Amino acid sequence: MSVVFKRTLPIVIVFATAMLFILEFFVTIPGIDFKSAATTVNNWGIILTAFTLAFGAVNLFIFHGRHISRRTKGQWPFSLWMLIVIVIFIVIGVSSGVSSGQYTWLYNASYFALSATVYSSLGFYMTSGIYRALRAKNIESGLLLIVGIIALARNAPAVASAFPPIIPWEAWLSAVPTTSAQRGIMIGAALGALALGIRTMIGRETGFLGKLTEAEKGG
Amino acid sequence: MGKESKTIWDRLEDIPREVLYGILIISFIMPMLFPIGFPVPISPEVKRWYDTIDKLPNGSVIMVDFGYSGGGEPELGPMAVAVYHHIFKKGGIKVVAMSTSNEGTLLFDKAMAELNPSQYGKQYGVDYIHIGYITGTESAMAAVGKDIRATTTTDYKGTPLAQYSIMDGVNEAKDFALLICYTTGGDQSEGWVRQWYTTYQTPYLCCVLAMMVPTMLPYQKAGQIVSLTSGAQAGQMELLVHVPARGIKSADVITITHLLCIALVVVGNIAYFGKKFSGGKQ
Amino acid sequence: MADFATIIQIWLAALFTIWIYSIAFRDNVFFKFAEHTFVGAAAGHSLVMGIDNILRIGWGNFIGGNYIYIIVFILGVLLFTRYHSDYFWVSRFPLAVLVGIGVGLMMRTTITSEFIAQIQSTAGMKLLGVDTWTAFSNLVFIIITLSVVYYFIFTFPKMHGGGLGIISTIAKYGMMAAFGYSFANTVLSRFNMIFGRFDFIMSTWLPLPYAMIALPVALILLIYAMIPAERRPWPKTQK
Repeated sequence: MSVVFKRTLPIVIVFATAMLFILEFFVTIPGIDFKSAATTVNNWGIILTAFTLAFGAVNLFIFHGRHISRRTKGQWPFSLWMLIVIVIFIVIGVSSGVSSGQYTWLYNASYFALSATVYSSLGFYMTSGIYRALRAKNIESGLLLIVGIIALARNAPAVASAFPPIIPWEAWLSAVPTTSAQRGIMIGAALGALALGIRTMIGRETGFLGKLTEAEKGG
Repeated sequence: MGKESKTIWDRLEDIPREVLYGILIISFIMPMLFPIGFPVPISPEVKRWYDTIDKLPNGSVIMVDFGYSGGGEPELGPMAVAVYHHIFKKGGIKVVAMSTSNEGTLLFDKAMAELNPSQYGKQYGVDYIHIGYITGTESAMAAVGKDIRATTTTDYKGTPLAQYSIMDGVNEAKDFALLICYTTGGDQSEGWVRQWYTTYQTPYLCCVLAMMVPTMLPYQKAGQIVSLTSGAQAGQMELLVHVPARGIKSADVITITHLLCIALVVVGNIAYFGKKFSGGKQ
Repeated sequence: MADFATIIQIWLAALFTIWIYSIAFRDNVFFKFAEHTFVGAAAGHSLVMGIDNILRIGWGNFIGGNYIYIIVFILGVLLFTRYHSDYFWVSRFPLAVLVGIGVGLMMRTTITSEFIAQIQSTAGMKLLGVDTWTAFSNLVFIIITLSVVYYFIFTFPKMHGGGLGIISTIAKYGMMAAFGYSFANTVLSRFNMIFGRFDFIMSTWLPLPYAMIALPVALILLIYAMIPAERRPWPKTQK
């Protein structure tokens, strides 16, 4: 009974919820209002997802709280600072509102600048990688190299202006081999996603259940 | 045992990364200090994007998703601003924005500060609005497509939507003539295809990071996206709308840095093949 | 002239930018400080936006008459039982609702958008009645698409051996061309982002008073911080 309640019932909920949305999309049954039910459940999902946004902060508090309590050498002052930053964001965000001048100031002074810079800093490693790793060692890597160089040259506005033939070459590379290969990958991925969805609905994929007890594994 | 002396090929293949990064930084800074003014050709995708908006009849309402994060703002921000310039210059079009990114509302404020809608006589709540960040990505898209007011009753500042005239008669995907998405996430760019184009056949203009363009090309080829552009093409859009700004500034820098990359690839391969054919250890 | 708060904001943003970029050269204490600030800010901002959604959308609907939302709030709180060693299973119920919504929304449209539409588009490519170059390009397109689908669906070695190996080879060449194109676009993307930060430093920060002096000072401090601790004259580290 405990296994039915703790393991099987959540899977039944997944199945029922997913079927509600699938039926709403494909089927019209007179007298059954799938649309209203689906809209309501969908909006529940939005609120539940909002709750999950707290998980990041909670995990950081747990993990870095340990560093602070153990005074991990070379780490604990940074961990303490990180948790202080989280608290500052929460206090200002909740008290002043997310569209307030104070919160906007805080966001622009810290998060925005840091986020933009972290994303862009990969460009340096990429440059080093281009220089050290891009070698035409065989046909496949040579092909990658040639297509890459043509696309790089086309992406440089002045090269495209000075050497116009590169524009249709790059357009062909984009429209034919790139799109076709990506389409093939997309079709394969779509089949995989469908298979995964079905497996989740029938309870064959139980990753979302988390830790399973011995009794639940056998069930 | 003596140390093996490095050949020219070894030295060419092993330039220290500090030197590489230094050259890269210089190639960024020099064109910024001494602009060259390289010409920028307009690509067919940007022209198609421009024409799609230009052909919208008066009274149309556009849905815009500010779905990008701060990391993508340097690339997508200029495009978002240039397109708003176009929409406001054209006139007669209303814009309802939302965000599927949790930084979207703040980036919307940033874009509006750069754009200055009042220069076109545009007013918040009458000509444009932002209904806020809604969690859940595809859940949010599906919910908003079905019924905006069942999802959210306020704008991003918490003011009831009923107080804004722009929202009169606008409540579901069918009320929108066009969907525009700026995003750094594949979940969002592909999600709109699934939740709005597939379900409601809403015409869809998609602007993503340049690195995401290849994965979105099949959708454009299948006609699910009217025009797929990258934020890197913002300069071209700025030229079309005659409002040069951040996008066009990058043209010189992009040219020089890309030529540097091509040079590095060539040097690396010359070193590799030189070492290989001179019998050196690989 | 910008107001004082804006000036401080620009200074902070500029210093964070320089400190983050320093990791390209060596790890250092300034980078660690900026990195931890970033992680804290990301988590804090995420939490704040979550609270905003719960209040604006959830609470707004609740006080508007949708009293059933109390169940949603309870389910949301129950998500956090995941951290409890004995009662973690309670979190499976709200998670099941989320997973069910995600699976349902994905499956009902993926079939159309990423399967049928793509196959229709490929099947609709003309080989006759068009000029030679278009026909050739369409043929190459169809061959590469089919080869790549074959490559990913038939993964057991027998299907890639012998005469059938040509299909895998074509698929690999097609994918390499696609990855080469992707690599060039990634370079464009990252360099655009770097330009954005450099433009901010040069156009927004450096024109501010004392910024031109602060820049070399910040760089010298960074270089000093990159020196291994045992070789630095100060501060002394304990062995």
